[in-house]
Amino acid sequence: MTETAERKALTREQLLDAYRMMRAIREFEERVHAEFATGEIPGFVHLYAGEEASAVGVCSNLDDRDTIASTHRGHGHCIAKGVDVAEMMAEIYGRKTGSCHGKGGSMHIADLSKGMLGANGIVGGGPPLICGTALAAKIKGTGGVGVAFFGDGASNQGTTLEAMNLASVWNLPAVFVAENNGYAETTSSTWSVASENIADRAGGFGMPGVIVDGFDFFAVHEAASEAITRAREGAGPTLLEMKFTRYFGHFEGDQQTYRAGEVEHARAELDCLKRFATRVAETGELTQSDLEAIDAEVAATIDRAVTEAKAAPLPDQADLLTDVYVRY
Amino acid sequence: MGDAIVGVVANPLSGRDIRRLTTRASVFPTAEKANMIQRMLTAFHAVGVQRVLLSTDLGGISAAVFRAIGQRRSHDAGWPDVEFLDGQPIRQTAQDTVDAVRRMVAAGAGVIICLGGDGTARVTASAACDVPMLALSTGTNNAFPAVREATVAGLAAGLVATGAVPADGVVTRAKLLEARVGDRTETALIDVAVSTQRHVGARAVWDPATLTQLFCAFAEPDVVGLSSILGQLSPVARHEPYGVAAHLAPEAEAQVLAPIAPGLVMPVGVRNIERMRPGAVYPVDARAGVIAVDGERELTFEPGERPIVRLRDDGPRCVDVPAVLAASARLGLLRRPAMTLGPVPVAGSTVRRNT
Repeated sequence: MTETAERKALTREQLLDAYRMMRAIREFEERVHAEFATGEIPGFVHLYAGEEASAVGVCSNLDDRDTIASTHRGHGHCIAKGVDVAEMMAEIYGRKTGSCHGKGGSMHIADLSKGMLGANGIVGGGPPLICGTALAAKIKGTGGVGVAFFGDGASNQGTTLEAMNLASVWNLPAVFVAENNGYAETTSSTWSVASENIADRAGGFGMPGVIVDGFDFFAVHEAASEAITRAREGAGPTLLEMKFTRYFGHFEGDQQTYRAGEVEHARAELDCLKRFATRVAETGELTQSDLEAIDAEVAATIDRAVTEAKAAPLPDQADLLTDVYVRY
Repeated sequence: MGDAIVGVVANPLSGRDIRRLTTRASVFPTAEKANMIQRMLTAFHAVGVQRVLLSTDLGGISAAVFRAIGQRRSHDAGWPDVEFLDGQPIRQTAQDTVDAVRRMVAAGAGVIICLGGDGTARVTASAACDVPMLALSTGTNNAFPAVREATVAGLAAGLVATGAVPADGVVTRAKLLEARVGDRTETALIDVAVSTQRHVGARAVWDPATLTQLFCAFAEPDVVGLSSILGQLSPVARHEPYGVAAHLAPEAEAQVLAPIAPGLVMPVGVRNIERMRPGAVYPVDARAGVIAVDGERELTFEPGERPIVRLRDDGPRCVDVPAVLAASARLGLLRRPAMTLGPVPVAGSTVRRNT
């Protein structure tokens, strides 16, 4: 019998890694928020702060065989899948040392060596990609799983619905993670998603759909573990719906006149990092000094990433004709 | 005498947890929850209920009923006035159910119907004070709420709320389990289970290997859920004045196959089965872990906290639907011409918004 996620306790190392990843995402995003305001960062950035438990709770169940497809709000997924934060920061600054040599920016950070297929400026662009990697994993017998993260806006896109259908029809090792932060850009999902729970749509594709408290790392990790194990063992795709709130606007500069009070409430009462820290202290699994050491280490790493990014060269004219085609 | 009022609280999230993934548990669509309420409205009207208080939610249930009221035609069956309990924040947590039930109690509801699973019934019971409740199943693990046609449940609730059927003999008091860790308390209507898991996580319990102790207010042989473990070994009926407790361990000599969740029939090792007396204190033996109430992990405890469990005989008052309709038959309440029913209000329905 497969050992269930419920029975399998997380090790000290796994807990430290989970906290380090969530803290790294938070620190990264808060720093980008501050730096973007100085006008030095080109293009748009969409920040993931508040949603860390989803990326980390899911990706902590993945390994190098597995692939993920992300969204325009992709920094958290990249970090959780192991993409180098210094290269990410350089990419956001449009520098030659970036993950995509400074040519993609925030919305196109990709690292195929880590199974990170890319952030994606196309809403609903990720799920079909995952059908491709999941099909490849199935045919090659690698045991790999494809995970598509998408938002409540993308849950209404034909691409997402077609991908879920295809994944079921072909019984692919895929997991669809709907990150429902309540708003597609500035439109509340109560106005745009006909079924209030995105998870309810799973039934139409013959797959299980589960609602998860997206602010709770332990809830996400457990649900994702079951879904990913199920996919790995050939039992087919699953739809997980994370319910939570993003802490920043749709993009940096969004005045957020469409909502009030939610973020303050979430930061004070629901925050995934606070809840994680309180919980592991109560159980005695980690100590305050364990967490503080990580906080300091992460802060230094992100600080260094920003300094290096600012100092790195921009792409030059000769770079125009490189990276035009990519061999997979 | 004031209006006969029934409160209806529906949980938009019931039937959506991880058991859809681990056990292929049923999915109960929002549209069907809204349909159940509409079928009840017809039944309420037929037996003279004048006002219905309906919980509001972001899951689309109250919105669907609101829309249906606006689409009614003159020849449709009459409905009572429906008052939507809006005007307060919806948190999308169990607190929404508590808030709605409190408002129903304060407004003088004669019966409160809850639509959900065991979790919803537990939360409703915690806020219902002594107003009779009627739990209808739309959730996952349903040992407490009945799977019953909403029209018939609506008739029974209406007959009690109007006073046409006296509560004596048709409204019975349920037992209750109380789990306490320091100053934190949770109640359960069916079972309290102790798990060696350290975190609440995905809440549901679906792996019996994590369980060390089980306490049941009742354990019926034909239910689904953790209480089914003792239901096969030492059954206790809902009306019996005691409960049953046991220790669970995979290596225990007595083994039983039990439907511990929808789609999961598992072997469970059981030892030290004992009767639970109301009021007596039963200690939790595990050093640290999680206490699950009615199958959902709720209370964590750490070394040194020493949780306790008690059986109480002051649980919620529950409407016994078969008994109400049997009484109605005896009294001839649904015969026409009616024998003792009060005036039936005129057809048609209005919406009162309570802001």
